[in-house]
Amino acid sequence: MSGEVLTAEQLGHLRHWDNLSRRLPNDWSQMQGKGVSQDDFGGYRFQLAYMVYGLAITHRHRLPAAPGMFAPTIRRLIDKLLMPEVWLYWRDVSRGGSVFNAHLSGRLGEEWDPVVRDNIMYSAYVQSCAAMHDAMFDSDHYAEPGSLTFRHWSFFWGGEEKRFAYDRESLTEHLYWLMVETGYLGVACEPNCVFQICNQPAIIGFRLHDRITGGSRADEVVAGYERAWADFGRLDASGHYNMMVTEDSRVVRPNERPSPWVDAWCGALMNTWNRDFVRRHYHRQVADFLETGPGGTLSVPSAPARHVMGQEVVSDTCDLGWVAAWASEMGDEQTLAGLLAHADTWMSPTWFDGGLYYPRNDTHTDADGRRTEIEPMSGNVLLGYARLNVADGLRGVYQDQWPEGHFEAPRLEVVDRDIEVSRAEVVDGVLHARLRRDRTVPGDGTVTLAGLPTSARLRLGGTELTVRDGLVVDVPEGHAVDLVAAP
Amino acid sequence: MTAPPIRARYCLVDHHGTPVTEASYASRWQLVQFGFTSCKVVCPRALAKLDDALDRLGTDAAAVVPLYVTVDPERDTPQRLKAHLDATHPRFTGLTGTAAQTEAAADAFRVFTRRRDTPDGYDVQHTAITYLLDPSGSPARHWPDTHDAERIAADLTALLR
Repeated sequence: MSGEVLTAEQLGHLRHWDNLSRRLPNDWSQMQGKGVSQDDFGGYRFQLAYMVYGLAITHRHRLPAAPGMFAPTIRRLIDKLLMPEVWLYWRDVSRGGSVFNAHLSGRLGEEWDPVVRDNIMYSAYVQSCAAMHDAMFDSDHYAEPGSLTFRHWSFFWGGEEKRFAYDRESLTEHLYWLMVETGYLGVACEPNCVFQICNQPAIIGFRLHDRITGGSRADEVVAGYERAWADFGRLDASGHYNMMVTEDSRVVRPNERPSPWVDAWCGALMNTWNRDFVRRHYHRQVADFLETGPGGTLSVPSAPARHVMGQEVVSDTCDLGWVAAWASEMGDEQTLAGLLAHADTWMSPTWFDGGLYYPRNDTHTDADGRRTEIEPMSGNVLLGYARLNVADGLRGVYQDQWPEGHFEAPRLEVVDRDIEVSRAEVVDGVLHARLRRDRTVPGDGTVTLAGLPTSARLRLGGTELTVRDGLVVDVPEGHAVDLVAAP
Repeated sequence: MTAPPIRARYCLVDHHGTPVTEASYASRWQLVQFGFTSCKVVCPRALAKLDDALDRLGTDAAAVVPLYVTVDPERDTPQRLKAHLDATHPRFTGLTGTAAQTEAAADAFRVFTRRRDTPDGYDVQHTAITYLLDPSGSPARHWPDTHDAERIAADLTALLR
């Protein structure tokens, strides 16, 4: 019996993610980064997807008996991931013409379908999030034809509706064959640019899909990926992860220095299938990026913005957030604690509608030189992800099945929005949960149990409870109360 | 497993010099492997595995035409393919053609190929997926090179019956 109870900060991050998932369509407030057109690493797609990953990790490792707290939020986030505001950048980026790919601009046409070629930096997140949902909740929700449909129509321009219908199966099949066509080196993000990082979510998606279908595509793709990258090496001469290979010339593009986000993002994901390698290099790599501060705090300085063609390159690198996420996956508690302490001291932790986040700040440092700059991806998502993760947390989602009988076990099947769940686990067949009604958000104040007979014995706050039909429990006002439900 | 989303069309010559297409083997199952005769590791392993799988089929193997399609038409002439296969994997028929023809065949099966310079000259990187076309010449299934002979033989047995 772990008896673990989430901290107020952990609950605050979960509440913030739930709040963001409930924003009205096209309300992206608190999520807007410095860049335009969703081009860079702070785009909505990344924020939405890593909230999904973070929720899956939390469900798997911390609140396994509370599917009702996670599944609806994940579906709302995936709904947002499908919205045109998230993927319309591809219509432009698909044409090529980036600074280091100018030679492609005349060859490529405008492509509206955001997953049909390249763009693994989007398609793999749709695919892996859908597979993660269905594997995590024993669901076929995204197997439904058309359940992953990308559509856009405007009254003002563009002609006919653009509609591209996929589902869990067809999208996985499509990405698999794109991977095959590259010789397993990986599918490009923007044209011609094959990033190691962005092919990791595809591998994760294949694995989760294999779990649903009994297939072995993840093993096949990993074996091919290993062979393909052997020509280039996963690490560069300085021991840091190679960021990308250009598809046509097969040349590794050197990383800008320093690039904490490259190592951190790649390491946090690649640990799923390549644990020994990632851990062998972690401590040396991360030491190159950390800056010590007072009181055990740690920060991650970012390189100054580059200037290319007379322009400043605007990008949310999310260096500090990614290093925190990486440290959490590595189980490096000292580094994680130092980074979170820095954020709590100099990055204005803010409670809003019951949720905790670190609001965007574009000012690089304070008067004492302490990093204050933080991007929405870090402040909304990555610091919360790091705080909720456990050592090898994403790896556990990738590697481990739920224990036998999990889906039939007693559980919180439905959790109203205003119920905070800080504990939910089954110990010796008995459901133990800690619940609190949170009046900062609307809701009916109930949880609905499942996996129990109607004759189940329930105690709430130490008092025997007679439940309403359908195993609905009213959570009282006031302090958190413990629910114990025995079959 | 569903049929692979490939066009599976080709217009080549076999190692006897006879023009062939996917329709040339109608009424038999086509087991298709891409590769090249100078390949040192991947192809010898793949062809040996397929020989093993076909051996496991016994007399049912007669319903299968094993085909080896080159990704190196510059060196793999019909004569060279025939000599190589007769000596190493005689149940296979080699297919070759012009560079444009073999490239079109690889595209139709979504096979990755890339010529790479080596100290000895060059080699051709390629994916080692095995494809099966049904007696009408349509894609039926595929096996990645991580699947072993036993698995392939079991799948073939189920399909052929």
